[in-house]
Amino acid sequence: MNCKMQRQLKIVIIILLLLQGFVSFSQNDKDKVEALRVAFIGKKLDLTTNESEKFWPIYNEYNDKIKAIRKNLRQSFKKGIDNMSDKELEELYVLEIKSKQAEAEQFKLFNDKIKVIIGTKKTLKLRVAEEEFKKEIIKTIQEKSD
Amino acid sequence: MKTTIQIFQLTKVLVFIGTYFLFGKTANAQSKFDSLKIKQPKHFFNTVIVLDSYGKPNQKITDTTDFLDKRLKSYGVKQFNLSFYTPISTINKPTTDSNVTKNTHVLLTGNFMSLRPVFDGISQHTLIKAGIGIRAIFNSGKKGIWFVDVSPFVTKDVTYESASYFRMANTFVYSYNKSEKFNFRIGLTKSFLWGNKNYWPFIGFRFGKLDKVNLSIQIPKNISLNVPINSKLRFSLYTKPQGGMFIFSNRDSLDYFRNSSTFQFTRYEINSGFRFDVRLNNNFNFYVAAGLSTKNNITFYSDKANKDRPRLPYRKYFYEQDLAPTGFFNFGLVLKFGKTKSYFNNRNIYDAIDLNNTIDAGDGNTSNGNVQIPVKSEKIKKKDANLTSIQDLIDANDY
Repeated sequence: MNCKMQRQLKIVIIILLLLQGFVSFSQNDKDKVEALRVAFIGKKLDLTTNESEKFWPIYNEYNDKIKAIRKNLRQSFKKGIDNMSDKELEELYVLEIKSKQAEAEQFKLFNDKIKVIIGTKKTLKLRVAEEEFKKEIIKTIQEKSD
Repeated sequence: MKTTIQIFQLTKVLVFIGTYFLFGKTANAQSKFDSLKIKQPKHFFNTVIVLDSYGKPNQKITDTTDFLDKRLKSYGVKQFNLSFYTPISTINKPTTDSNVTKNTHVLLTGNFMSLRPVFDGISQHTLIKAGIGIRAIFNSGKKGIWFVDVSPFVTKDVTYESASYFRMANTFVYSYNKSEKFNFRIGLTKSFLWGNKNYWPFIGFRFGKLDKVNLSIQIPKNISLNVPINSKLRFSLYTKPQGGMFIFSNRDSLDYFRNSSTFQFTRYEINSGFRFDVRLNNNFNFYVAAGLSTKNNITFYSDKANKDRPRLPYRKYFYEQDLAPTGFFNFGLVLKFGKTKSYFNNRNIYDAIDLNNTIDAGDGNTSNGNVQIPVKSEKIKKKDANLTSIQDLIDANDY
C-alpha cells in the first residue's frame, strides 16, 4: 500500500472513531437495564426450552413497540405545554389518547399470544415479575441518591 | 352438469369477493399503533466495521536447498484487514398459528485486505484482496438456521504493475440448536484460507450458551474456548488457520522459468493463542490476541499452472517452504452502528449472529468477537440505575 493510501485509510479510521464519540452513552445504561430486566424475568418465569424459543421473540417485539410509543409521546411533550399553540395542544391531546389506546391494544395482543404459549399462570407471573423489577430498580436509585 | 359446477364455483368466487369488500376493511383496519406512524428499527443486525491488524516477525529461512531460499532470505507477515457487514433487508414473520417468529436477513459484506509478505532478499510487495459479498440467513424460528454466503473478490499486487485476479469464496451452512447449550452445524465451504482453493465440509459443534462459557468447534474455521469474565471483558483460547492466495508481481524474476509478469503466492499458518475482547461501550470494542503461529507454509507457482487447472487445487509449485513456528500478534477495533430490534434471550438470533461472525466477510478468518450478543449480568448496579435508563419501563401511572 502506498503512502497516499495509508494516509487516506488513517483519515477514514479517525473519522469512524470520532463518529463513535457522538454516540450517546445513555443508550448503554438503557441496554444494560433492559438486559437485567430480561434476565430477572427469565429467572422468575422459569420457561421451558420450547416456551422460551417462542416467548422471547414476541416479548422483545412487544417491548420495542411499547418503548417506541412512550418515547414518541415523551418527545412530543418536550417543547413544553406552555409554549404550544392551540393547534399543537390539540394534536398533542389526540396523540396522547392514541398512544394510550395503542399501548392497551398492544398489551391485549401480546397477552393473547403469550397466554397460548406459556399459560395463564405464567402470563400473570410475568406481570408480577415486571412490577418487582421496577420496584428493585427504583429502590436502587433511591439508595444511590441517599 | 359441467355448467352447474362452473356456476357453483363462480358463485363461490363472487361470495368471496363480496365478503372481502364488506368485511375486508374491518379485518385490515389500521391498528392504533400503525396510526401513530412510529419509526422502529428494521433489522436485527447492526452495521459492523472491523479493523484488524495482524503480524508475524521476520524469520530467517534456514533450509537453503532451493536457490530461491537464498534469494528470499527470510519471511514475515504484516497484514491489515478492513471488513464490514450491513443489513440490507430483514423480513420478520410472526406466524399466528404456531406462534413461531421466522425471519430472513440479507446482509451486504465487504472486505479489504492488505498483505505485506516480508522477504529480506527481494523488494517489498504489497498484495491486496478486496471484495463485496452478499449473505442470507434464514431463521426458521424453531431449531434451525440456514446460512448462505457468496464472497467474490479480486487480488492484485499493488506495488508493481500486475493483473487483477477474480476469485470467489462461498459457504453454505445449516445450524441446528438442539438446546441453548448445544448446537451443531453442517455445510460446505469453498475457501482460500489454507493457501489454495479448497472445498471443505463445514462441521461445527458448540457446547455451552453463547452468552456464557462455551467451547466452539467450527471446522475448518476455528476452535475456541470462550469465557466471559464480566459484561465488558471476554477471554478466549483459540486455534484457527489464516492464509490466502495472492497475485505476486514477477518483478524480482522469482518465476525464472517463465516470462510471466505475475505468479501466484499462497500462504497459510495455524495460529493458537489467547484473546481478550474489551467492550468499551455499546458501539465500540477492541481485541488483543497473541500466540504461536505453526505450520507456516508458503508457495509460489506460475500463472500457467493456475490457468491449466482452474477447477482443481494446484499442487505443483516451483517453490515451497515450511517455516519454523513463530509468535504472532493481532489487534482489532470493532465499530458497531445503528439501532436494532431487540433480541434478548432470542437464542436463534444469537446463533444467527454467531454464525455470521464465524464466517467472516471476505474469507480472511478474522472475528469481531460476537459483540452483538449481550452478556448476561445478574445484579443491578447502582451506576447503571438512573432515571434516563428506566424511563421507557415506567408508565405515567406508575409515579
